[in-house]
Amino acid sequence: MIDTTPVIPSGRDVVRSPMVATAWRHRHLLDTDVLAWPEIALVLSGAARMAEVVTGTRERPGTLRGVGVTTLFYEASTRTRVSFEVAARLLGADVVTVAAAASSVAKGESLLDTIRTLEALGARMLVMRHATSGAPYLVAGHFGGSVLNAGDGRHAHPTQALLDLYTLWRHIGAGDLGPFLAGRKIAILGDVLHSRVARSNLWTLTAAGAEVWVCGPPTLLDGFAAWAAAGVDGGRPFRVTTDIAAAVRDADAVMALRLQRERMTAGLLPSPAEYAARYGLTRERLALAAPGALVLHPGPMNEGLEIAPDVANGPQSVVTEQVANGVAVRMAILELLDAARGRA
Amino acid sequence: MSGSGLPPAGVLGRPVDLDLSRAWLVDPASGRQGPGEIVVRAGVVEAVTWLDGAAADGIDDQGIVVTPGFLDLHAHLREPGDAAAETIASGLAAAAHGGFTSVCAMANTEPPIDTAAAVLAAAVAAAASGSPVRLLVHGAVTAGRGGERLAALGEMADAGVAGFSDDGAPVAAATLLRSALAYAGALGIPVVEHPEDPSSTAGAEASEGLIATVLGLRAWPGSAEETAVARDLAILRDVVRDVPSARLHLTHLSTAPALDLVRRAKAEGLPVTCDVTPHHVALSDEWVAGARRFAWQALDGEGRRRDPWRDAALDAAPFDTATRVNPPLRSPEDAAACLAALVDGTVDAVATDHAPHGEVDKAVEFGLAANGISGIETALGLLLAAVDAGRLSLLRAIEALTVGPARIVAGGPARPGLLEGQPADLVVFDRAERWAVGPDSLLSRGRNTPLLGRELAGRVLLTVAGGRLAYEAAG
Repeated sequence: MIDTTPVIPSGRDVVRSPMVATAWRHRHLLDTDVLAWPEIALVLSGAARMAEVVTGTRERPGTLRGVGVTTLFYEASTRTRVSFEVAARLLGADVVTVAAAASSVAKGESLLDTIRTLEALGARMLVMRHATSGAPYLVAGHFGGSVLNAGDGRHAHPTQALLDLYTLWRHIGAGDLGPFLAGRKIAILGDVLHSRVARSNLWTLTAAGAEVWVCGPPTLLDGFAAWAAAGVDGGRPFRVTTDIAAAVRDADAVMALRLQRERMTAGLLPSPAEYAARYGLTRERLALAAPGALVLHPGPMNEGLEIAPDVANGPQSVVTEQVANGVAVRMAILELLDAARGRA
Repeated sequence: MSGSGLPPAGVLGRPVDLDLSRAWLVDPASGRQGPGEIVVRAGVVEAVTWLDGAAADGIDDQGIVVTPGFLDLHAHLREPGDAAAETIASGLAAAAHGGFTSVCAMANTEPPIDTAAAVLAAAVAAAASGSPVRLLVHGAVTAGRGGERLAALGEMADAGVAGFSDDGAPVAAATLLRSALAYAGALGIPVVEHPEDPSSTAGAEASEGLIATVLGLRAWPGSAEETAVARDLAILRDVVRDVPSARLHLTHLSTAPALDLVRRAKAEGLPVTCDVTPHHVALSDEWVAGARRFAWQALDGEGRRRDPWRDAALDAAPFDTATRVNPPLRSPEDAAACLAALVDGTVDAVATDHAPHGEVDKAVEFGLAANGISGIETALGLLLAAVDAGRLSLLRAIEALTVGPARIVAGGPARPGLLEGQPADLVVFDRAERWAVGPDSLLSRGRNTPLLGRELAGRVLLTVAGGRLAYEAAG
């Protein structure tokens, strides 16, 4: 019998804020659906602090010194994986990257086998991405440490939603730790059906009080009308439309979603050109939004498809800022989860 | 159980002696239920006495209940091919624990049951198990369940099959289904069809609707079942012109529109029957999200689904692969339609679609998990939950587990009932006693039920098949 308990070095000089110790209840971050507003606010304030670490104006806290953080990505991703790894390193963690190509799956190694192996190898925090919805929930039931969902199928991408919210907060709500998007309109455009980013954002944006509009071609909105009517969390309704002008008009921020080219071969859309013409975020359409409206995109962008190049790189775009903010937000989340695990 | 007259712990298969002097008897064949006494000697029902007046005082349907043994039209016993999930022996033991005395094994084994030799091999395994539970066998419709040419239907009929089914998949080619209905009809055997349009369900994970949308699961539309049922009925209509003895049985219906099609086809006089499963009656798709309330509790006063998020009804983690099943758990409205169709007689039988799976097929990602719920031991409990909720009568529930299915396939008890002079074929359960569904209480090798950790009413105390002991509760 192999002892699978990893050794955690003693003498960790961890200073935890009392606020962190009381308000954050979660050992895992699997989706934004379980986050109450005070917890979301903790992420925002924590990220603001971490942003100073990222820019070098604040000392690296070392809160994760000696903690094994493993990234396990069953789907290719550079941006999210590297963002997590940079965040973990800035906190002093020992980072292991697992290139989980389909090879281990092809060899018949189950996800749970892999998880048990990684835990035995010292993983205490597991950052995972998987092509099927719900996979991190399976892992969370069998992993002794913390699971961070870095994207599961169509279901959830909680750190993306939180970094989107943080980006909005820097521009719209900074300083206000209440639901700062009350009275604000946010439009989410594109392939909503297949988007974990859209789903996780619906929870956080409505929690922040925003009036959310989701918009796309009818084949990519399947099922959302019923959710919109029921409301997020059974009570926070949002709007669904195929009319992009209606969605963008007077919006304070517009988020374009990536369109996978396989939507054409699956018979959901006629052609990329038709999509760009009818649902692309162009300068003309952006002009319908509120003056200075922010343009977000979770990346990587298909410029010329879901977003025009002059919008993607224009003055209202905060896309590169989202990337930078992602590190700070993930640092804040790693610290909160580690503290919660320490208390458990 | 002292004083109940139940026999002491005994050997499986031995002739049963039983003297129950104060029980609630349910005899759906005669439509009768009430206080009574039953005496069984050496496996034969010696006396059934209905009590009235003072003798009946204090006996109601909330205590010890005696009914004919149940017949399951649809169970996957996984032999040959997947002993980690189930064997004929473990499946028959589980059946007896569930109150079933006759079980129809589905043909989608590995290799499939598509020859007389395979049918007989199943019978041999059943005999070797020592269980007195009757094993009935559905032979495959198409060779190897390949959907390309007819299996050896006549040869399997001679070997005594109960029905023909490619269950797990529909007979996709319309011409082949037409041939099967005609050929099997002439043999006097029903075709048991799994109605699903596979082009609508490729990769599908959860019933189309609010739950699938929120969880990001690929939607499994109700139309996949409705179009298949409509097609099957249209083909049947063509076939019966030439072969009036053709019979179609549609298994595990799960949607309101599909049940409406059957309701109308029956009114038209087509020779069609259908079943629903206990889980499509009592559970709903919100279980995939983590809700653990019965389907009728998930409806508002107007019969529309309640929002489990608004109700804070999500008690368990989402994406439990034990909730993944084909057809998927449907909306609470569809579950209500299954129950209504059971009550109004559109549905002829409750069949379990018992689908045990081993860990290797279930302890995986939701999207990769096998479909199926291990359900033969919880069928009675789920139906009793509907009875307790006032949605279903006890008599109708028992009828759908006994005489209903017995009319559809041959090979069960000649006439399910509490019949003097006949070998006893019955189940005794205690309505008042709840039992915990857990790995230790289930006899199936498949622990893949979302009911694990929950309690159900109606603990089975004794199951007698053909006069012989099939199951006896400890203690």
